[in-house]
Amino acid sequence: MEKRKNVLAAALFVLLAVLVVVFFRTSGREQIRRSKDVSSSSASVQNTAEKQMKTVSLFFLREEDGLLVPEEREIAADASLVREAKEVISELIKGSRGDLVSPLPPETKLGQLFITKDGTAYVDVSKDIVDYHPSGTAAEISTVYTIVNSLTYNFKPIKKVFILIEGEERETLGGHISLDRPFLPDYSLVAKR
Amino acid sequence: MLRRKRIVYLGLIALLAVLVSALPPVSAASQTKRQRSIVIDPGHGGLDVGAKGKFGSLEKDITLAISFKLKSLIEQNMAFRVILTRDKDIDLSNENRAALANNNDAVLFISIHTNGSFRKNAQGAETYFMSLTATDEESRKLAYFENNSSELETRIAGEAKDDVQIILWDMAQAAYIKQSSRLAELIQEELSSNPLIGTENRGVKQARFKVLTGVACPAVLVEAAFISNPREEQKLISNEFQTHVAQAVYSGLAKYIKLTFQR
Repeated sequence: MEKRKNVLAAALFVLLAVLVVVFFRTSGREQIRRSKDVSSSSASVQNTAEKQMKTVSLFFLREEDGLLVPEEREIAADASLVREAKEVISELIKGSRGDLVSPLPPETKLGQLFITKDGTAYVDVSKDIVDYHPSGTAAEISTVYTIVNSLTYNFKPIKKVFILIEGEERETLGGHISLDRPFLPDYSLVAKR
Repeated sequence: MLRRKRIVYLGLIALLAVLVSALPPVSAASQTKRQRSIVIDPGHGGLDVGAKGKFGSLEKDITLAISFKLKSLIEQNMAFRVILTRDKDIDLSNENRAALANNNDAVLFISIHTNGSFRKNAQGAETYFMSLTATDEESRKLAYFENNSSELETRIAGEAKDDVQIILWDMAQAAYIKQSSRLAELIQEELSSNPLIGTENRGVKQARFKVLTGVACPAVLVEAAFISNPREEQKLISNEFQTHVAQAVYSGLAKYIKLTFQR
């Protein structure tokens, strides 16, 4: 009987000890488990993204005739139209990989981009687009339509584009072309293939 | 009684004097039918320098120089009053430039600019008129005013204080698109056919220019040459080239006036 009691007491003690240890460690383990979940899931996202790329056409200026010419570029396919559209603008800002001219100052930073139900994309960019802009009618038209044509050409739901600067409507980029309403695409500025 | 009569006489004389002093401008105006004006708009000004050239020339200075030359050409050859939207290096909003034309009974509005591009070799002359990319609802209103531009003129003649008139003001150029297009063609023809100018002909184009939207008369914007192209910058700063451009613009607008006013 006494031996049995001893064994029981020892078992209880061990159980208690285990419980105490488990109690103090669970929080830490959960953190570890959570971080493991995150790393594994992000890895899987990366894997699928590597598989699913999307080819888009970016419109840059051709030096010889000033027409807009498409340059193909791979971007990560995304379920979100807004994220894909933002990616297109970011790639436009990076400029041409060939010998085309970029009509967007490389200093320009992309802010918000949102698309309304009627198909108007609002593209908000930093004031650098104005500060580093050469001004001039031709230059302003190029800047507007590199954005407008690239977005409407690649994304059917986008019908027109409103350009905002620092979140606000601005009269012009450099004193010429009015930015007071959304622009429809103008494919007469695009080179015929 | 006598004193009273005297006061009445004095009053009458004063009244007559006022009337007489008011008469001369009225009769002058009736002599030349209406003292209508041609408004020339030198692009940019003040802090707004416009496009810049490699050799440091500024769009605002060249546009002013050409505008002065154009003004004296019109004054030498025509009966119109010529108004410059600015005659010195000052800031001026696009609305005020248009308002100046509308408040001075302008028959023509000519905005002078020099072009700028991201491309090194962009060159040539082009003439613009307003482009309208209106919504359906706006298009219907515009169609109405295109057919009733006289109504628009009389409405704009008043001061734009209430919302309705501000909207009309905003669309003012819509009523003159056809005339503006004709004027642009005639000016561009002169710019491109003058061998002394010798620049590439980029043709007549349309764009949504802030400065043209509110102008209530035929209005064009002339891009004389590219200041961003060093070769054309050299031309633009030369006195002769500026004179030739002013002459070409003058010939174009003179043809337009002959076609529309002397039927």
